[in-house]
Amino acid sequence: MMKGNLIEKTTAWERFNHWVLAVSFLILFFTGLGFLYQSLNWINTIFGGNHLASAIHKWTGLVFTLSLILTLGSYFGEAIRFTSEDSKWISSLGGYFSREMEPPPQGKLNAGQKLFYLIVVVLFGATSAFSGFIIWLFPDSRGLILFAHFLHNISYVVFAFAVPLHIYLGTAANPGTFRVMTRGTVTAAWAKKHHGRWAKDMGIE
Amino acid sequence: MALETTEIKRRLSGVDVLTRKKGLLISPELCIGCRGCQTACKEWNKLPGDRTSNRGTYENPPDLTPNLYNKIRFLEVTGGDTVKWLFVSQRCMHCTDAGCMKVCPAPGALYRTAEGAVAFDRNKCIGCRFCVAGCPFNIPRYDQEGRIAKCHLCSDRIPYGLQPACAKTCPTGAIRYGDREELMGIAKEAGYKTVYGTTDLGGLGVLYAFRERPSYYGLPDSPSFSPTIALWKNILKPLALIGLGGAVAAAAAHYVTIGPKEVDEGGEE
Repeated sequence: MMKGNLIEKTTAWERFNHWVLAVSFLILFFTGLGFLYQSLNWINTIFGGNHLASAIHKWTGLVFTLSLILTLGSYFGEAIRFTSEDSKWISSLGGYFSREMEPPPQGKLNAGQKLFYLIVVVLFGATSAFSGFIIWLFPDSRGLILFAHFLHNISYVVFAFAVPLHIYLGTAANPGTFRVMTRGTVTAAWAKKHHGRWAKDMGIE
Repeated sequence: MALETTEIKRRLSGVDVLTRKKGLLISPELCIGCRGCQTACKEWNKLPGDRTSNRGTYENPPDLTPNLYNKIRFLEVTGGDTVKWLFVSQRCMHCTDAGCMKVCPAPGALYRTAEGAVAFDRNKCIGCRFCVAGCPFNIPRYDQEGRIAKCHLCSDRIPYGLQPACAKTCPTGAIRYGDREELMGIAKEAGYKTVYGTTDLGGLGVLYAFRERPSYYGLPDSPSFSPTIALWKNILKPLALIGLGGAVAAAAAHYVTIGPKEVDEGGEE
């Protein structure tokens, strides 16, 4: 949808839910860090001590899970549609490792965004949510708890690697991108550069 | 391997964990099953009785509870045409390499006393029960408020020169308290084939003088905690910080080398 010189890329609902997911994630990530490392336990002091931090971690996990489920309606359909332009994006590494190389025109989501959404958000988000609920609700099943803990930690490692990169790519690495999740609109030039096929579909030449 | 870890800990901490470690020596053959130790433990720790039912055995209660830190298990072991009645104290083993302490996410909820025992601070416990999953002996129990309860080797007696309540009350010497090294010597001198806990899990604080295999007395022959604990504590944990730091560093490096993807707005913005 065009709004003067600007094109709408995300709906108000998508932006709202993105920030519910992002804020709940950060709370979970930092309280988790406080529980994982004794030397970083002071983080949980900020959250009101270990008892309160534990309760906050659990209930925020519920918010995170609901928000995660609701993202499926926004991105899942687009993310599972893999085409030749996605393979080209991957083989050119998104053009991030060279100033000259430009990836081929992309749809509304590029291959990197699709992979981030499917693997990091959906797969490991669900893994951490699923294992978290086991830890929360079945504390007495020894074998299950150990396995759930293991899954919880694997997904934590994945988030520790991937989320800082997601934040970088959405802000400093791509000027003009952050407003996709604040205002929801992008400039025509931005749309042509980053999502050429989508811009074409939207009627921008 | 276990001894190596202990050796590293000894050097790092400056505290000679193993030789300073106090402990108990339990000799099932000397036990007459009076359960005085169960009662003395309850009395010292002000623990109420548990309502149980008659199951046709003197063994009571059937398992450790949050109100029962030390229990005598009554084992009937048949061999040939004889039956042997064994009485074995079941309680926290005060492992040097303690699975419960490894997994506990609340610092100070489980802690090492100066005598090498694993004690707990129920006010710091957040009730997650990971220690139950981490314990190779299935010892920790949780009370009605969801806080940990287990033997703490009378951490409120031994600093004052008293011996643990169970050892003090034992009429036959089946539970003996002292320096761990000395207790091992005593058991060996008395001619016991196995001193259980000498090297298991870095050395247990509770030693058993056995004439048969540990499994004969209902204890695991080679106790260990789940390898997934070591995997996530030793590999995944550092990997999370490396990942976090690495991703931030990589982003910064990318920004100053290749740089951002600028959009040419044609002078409009």
